[in-house]
Amino acid sequence: MWSEEKSISLTKFCIMLFMVLLAVVAVTAPWLTEWFVSVSRAGQEEHRVYFMATIYVGFVPAAYLLYSLFKLLRRIESGQVFTDENVELLRRISWSCFAGAVVALVSMLYYNPWVFVAIAAAFMGLIVRVVRNVVAQAVELKKEADYIV
Amino acid sequence: MPIIVNLDVMMAKRKISSGELAEKIGITPSNLSILKTGKAKAIRFSTLEAICKTLECQPGDILEYRPDEGE
Repeated sequence: MWSEEKSISLTKFCIMLFMVLLAVVAVTAPWLTEWFVSVSRAGQEEHRVYFMATIYVGFVPAAYLLYSLFKLLRRIESGQVFTDENVELLRRISWSCFAGAVVALVSMLYYNPWVFVAIAAAFMGLIVRVVRNVVAQAVELKKEADYIV
Repeated sequence: MPIIVNLDVMMAKRKISSGELAEKIGITPSNLSILKTGKAKAIRFSTLEAICKTLECQPGDILEYRPDEGE
């Protein structure tokens, strides 16, 4: 039977999968770049270093985002849902998305399709920001409710 | 807050302990402590009713309005 615990476990597994994927991308960045440049028809041979720079700089907010997401999920798992710490974690996740969007936006200077990554990351950041605001309100309501006897 | 909870006074008059009162009115001892220490932001009518019934008193015996110094 499907349960809330299983749902959280599945999400945790997915996050760990993304963490592994991110680590693999970081380690194999030189080969990935080489492969991409060789198959791309956009003539990006001279931009190899830029691609690698984008991957390595983008790695930082992506790793931080996944770490914060994992931490948030562990807190939810232990029953700590509407807390100030979770609001802070959501805020960090949102800013990680925006940081990723900025990296992709700057990368547009040498490869225009990065714009899609920038838009997707900024959009995600915006959604998380709204969720953060909702949770912040919920935390206030919970604090109020905790003091109603 | 200018609303003062005089539950301690009433409990002393009726010679009832916190644990006993909490059990009789059906709230947790920690919630009763919140009420006694004046940290509560609101009190349910049902809780007030149970307190008044148990302590045989009126809401006014428990709650008191005392204006702030500056007012």
